[in-house]
Amino acid sequence: MLERLSRPWPDHRAERTLGAVSLLVCALVVAMVVFVGIHAWPIFEHNGLSWLGSGGDLGRQLADMQNTTQHPPPSAYHLRAWPLVYGTLLTTAVAVALALAIAIFSSIFIVELAPARLRRVAIPVIRLLASVPSVIYGLIGILVLVPFVGNHVISSAEKESVQNVVLLTGAGLSVTVVILTVMITPIMVALICEALVSVPNSWREGAVALGVNPLRGMLAVTLRAARPAIVAAAVLATARALGEAIMISMVSGSRSFAPKPIDGLVFFFEPLRTLASGIVDYREGIAAPALGSALYAWALLLLFSAFVLSIAGYLIKLPLRKFQVRG
Amino acid sequence: MSTGLQQWAPSPSPGPPMKSGRGRRSSPMTWRWRDRLALVFAWGAGLGLCLIAGAIVVYMGYRGVEYLRPSLLLQRPALSTTQSETGGFLDPLIGTALLTVIGVVLAVPLAVGGAIWIAEYGRPTWLARVVESSIEMVAGTPDIVIALFGLSIFQLGLFAPFSFKASGGGVFGKSFIAAGAMMSLIALPPLFTATRDGLQAVPSHMREAAFALGKTRIATIRRVLLPSVRSNIATGVTLGISRIIGDTAIIVLLLGETLRLDPQGSVPGINLLRGTGSTLTSYVYGNSPAGEGAAPQKAYAAAFVLLVFVLVLNLIVDRIGRSSADATGMTVAGAVV
Amino acid sequence: MSRIRRLSLAVAVAGVLGVAAPAAASAITTITISGATASYPLVSLLAQKYIKVHPKKVKFKITQGGAQIGVNDVAAGRVSIGDVSRDPLAADPAGLVFYPIAKYGICVITNKSNPVPNLTQSQVIALFTGKTRAWSAIPGATASGTIDLISRTSVAGVLTNFQTLLLEGKKVSTIAAEEASEGLMRQKVESDPNSIGFVSNYQSDKGTVNPVGLNGVACNKSTVQGGSYSGTARFYEVTKGKATGASSAFIGWIEKSAAARKIISTQWLPIS
Repeated sequence: MLERLSRPWPDHRAERTLGAVSLLVCALVVAMVVFVGIHAWPIFEHNGLSWLGSGGDLGRQLADMQNTTQHPPPSAYHLRAWPLVYGTLLTTAVAVALALAIAIFSSIFIVELAPARLRRVAIPVIRLLASVPSVIYGLIGILVLVPFVGNHVISSAEKESVQNVVLLTGAGLSVTVVILTVMITPIMVALICEALVSVPNSWREGAVALGVNPLRGMLAVTLRAARPAIVAAAVLATARALGEAIMISMVSGSRSFAPKPIDGLVFFFEPLRTLASGIVDYREGIAAPALGSALYAWALLLLFSAFVLSIAGYLIKLPLRKFQVRG
Repeated sequence: MSTGLQQWAPSPSPGPPMKSGRGRRSSPMTWRWRDRLALVFAWGAGLGLCLIAGAIVVYMGYRGVEYLRPSLLLQRPALSTTQSETGGFLDPLIGTALLTVIGVVLAVPLAVGGAIWIAEYGRPTWLARVVESSIEMVAGTPDIVIALFGLSIFQLGLFAPFSFKASGGGVFGKSFIAAGAMMSLIALPPLFTATRDGLQAVPSHMREAAFALGKTRIATIRRVLLPSVRSNIATGVTLGISRIIGDTAIIVLLLGETLRLDPQGSVPGINLLRGTGSTLTSYVYGNSPAGEGAAPQKAYAAAFVLLVFVLVLNLIVDRIGRSSADATGMTVAGAVV
Repeated sequence: MSRIRRLSLAVAVAGVLGVAAPAAASAITTITISGATASYPLVSLLAQKYIKVHPKKVKFKITQGGAQIGVNDVAAGRVSIGDVSRDPLAADPAGLVFYPIAKYGICVITNKSNPVPNLTQSQVIALFTGKTRAWSAIPGATASGTIDLISRTSVAGVLTNFQTLLLEGKKVSTIAAEEASEGLMRQKVESDPNSIGFVSNYQSDKGTVNPVGLNGVACNKSTVQGGSYSGTARFYEVTKGKATGASSAFIGWIEKSAAARKIISTQWLPIS
């Protein structure tokens, strides 16, 4: 039998084997949804969809979940995880918005404005920034930025203003958003640069010939033609920001607290927690059935969001196809 | 990283190039204020990004040189509450290497096999689209979700041989095999994309020449196409490796977080795979104030070593890209992160 | 026999021998332990000594995450023994057996720059339930400004005992920051001049924080061992059902041997 295997294979057998290998990947994706969904089911069963809403102190609810037996009563599954959802939405939206602006302008800088020597330095440097592991970002954040913000930016008056609600330590919204922006900008810069470069130069030269200055030509013509790539970059960056767990768990202050914009400037220093960082923070309690289900429910939400993002990105690019050079 | 950043130069267009001669460019002084503002923003954003990257590298380098001693690379870590006795990080280094090997070994057949099927066969077309979408979905899944998925699988009784069964009957579910299997999912998308793009870039006359000589499709793939995309596969593997060594979420959930390598069972070799351990990333996390926080100096030293690895891997990708472009005249399709 | 058949037979025989021989030679059992961060130093020392006394018989895998984690893990069968730093609760799973092994003291601590010498129990309650929020209200405190309350995450047994013994059953205010382990609690109080927290006496005896006396009695090793300090609690080793096999031998050794008693007496109080 071994001899039969070592002889050259006929095409149909090779095709079937390779096809099976490819299908294995699909099977893994399906398995991911199924397994995470099965473990997350108890939370949905006991709360419906209202576990995404707010109500009560999330910290206490999670604490009560941890202190339960192997067969918890239905009341143990009570969960209102809005602070986590809010934290995720807040950090992701702000970081992606900032990163989009910075990435577009940086790409224009690299492609158009930078002198050749600076461009040769900037490209590898930005590529390096994209491959720095998130734990290093978290380390610099927690050892440098958090003490700086805690000791030199937050005044003690600000601390006292919220002293009956939450403790301000410097680890909070501002540091989280800053580091998250720095993390996702290089990814967008790579994609946008590639798209800007692939737009034929003659398009922009036509605009310049009509009297527009080169930068405006770049903005009005090339950037617009690269819109599908900008959408793709934004989608990729959002997916990255949604799933960032380790860095956020290090610098966000790790309180299941929803920062309140009403608090004014203090809003930027309030601690928070996201879905992904919550999974990391509570990972040791996974043996408690209620808390384990909660963690899987958060993971299911993240999975669902990632899928929705890919589909949304595809759909947004569809009408833009008629303007594009390449998608 | 995409080709755009790797080997792009301004494309020559017919007529005199835009940038030659100062006189051709309009001076920003004549522009509208909105465009001047955009100019300032662009310069600011570009320079700012470069400065931040430079600052990170310089700061980590400074701290690394301050705290890294060669003995740390060779000493085993020790559990202690006094800083000076916590040892080095030999075990995390071994753990990183072991995990990378497992992840790549598991990812290569899956990714290369899938890429070959998509590029060379791919019938029926709806199935090919499903497979490509699946790989995109795996690429977009957060690593923490992949880690929880791994936990849910490896804590099944069926997979008890891959970690160990505690005396109460519960499956531990955390081991090098478990973490390595999930790491292969992390390395899969870059490897798949690189191989597929490389195969699609091979000009069709090479295939047609092989068919004309009477070779079957699979023989063409084995003898003609795969060797010509060697550099693509190498790029993909290097990108996959750099993603694996940088990942912390999977380690923290699936590797048991024991400071030292802790083999499980009595079969030599296999017991290492079934056991738990740590990697550079979990070592940095554990020693920072987010973990036990006892040794920020060790955390800096380990983080510096990690950064050096990532830098070296980036250089390798660069080198492969350049040498293959010189050799074959074809560009290497680097995969997007 | 064809060449391939001979080769595969040889490989099969070698494989069987390779697996069976080491398996027969070493019958090392692994004892897995998880649970309280407060008893982790003690149990690690005891485990190390036990291996020296009974070499090549057992291996230990000790993790920490909090007393409740230990209870959950042992109830789920994921570990053999749970380290628990609080007394059994009514909500604990049925069938768990608690073996007390040592006693420890819970000390209120402040930063070294803020050497509060003593607090009455009512002051402690007012502080930790969030009624008193400024250091100016505490006599003997040199710090000024807001009081930074540091507490433990909900899985900590020390937190449960602190609330039962020192807060008369009241709960720590939700304003408090939550640290995941004793080590992190100690570090937070070491670095924040306005902070106040609580740890087991093992951590406060290190001299890096200021232990605050309770009702006139200082909190340190000698008052805990002497019995005059009122905030003492017990460490337990917990098994699912009565302990059997290697776990039972280990727990029995802790309870009865002189070597174990000596280790416990270094920082804690033996049970009997």
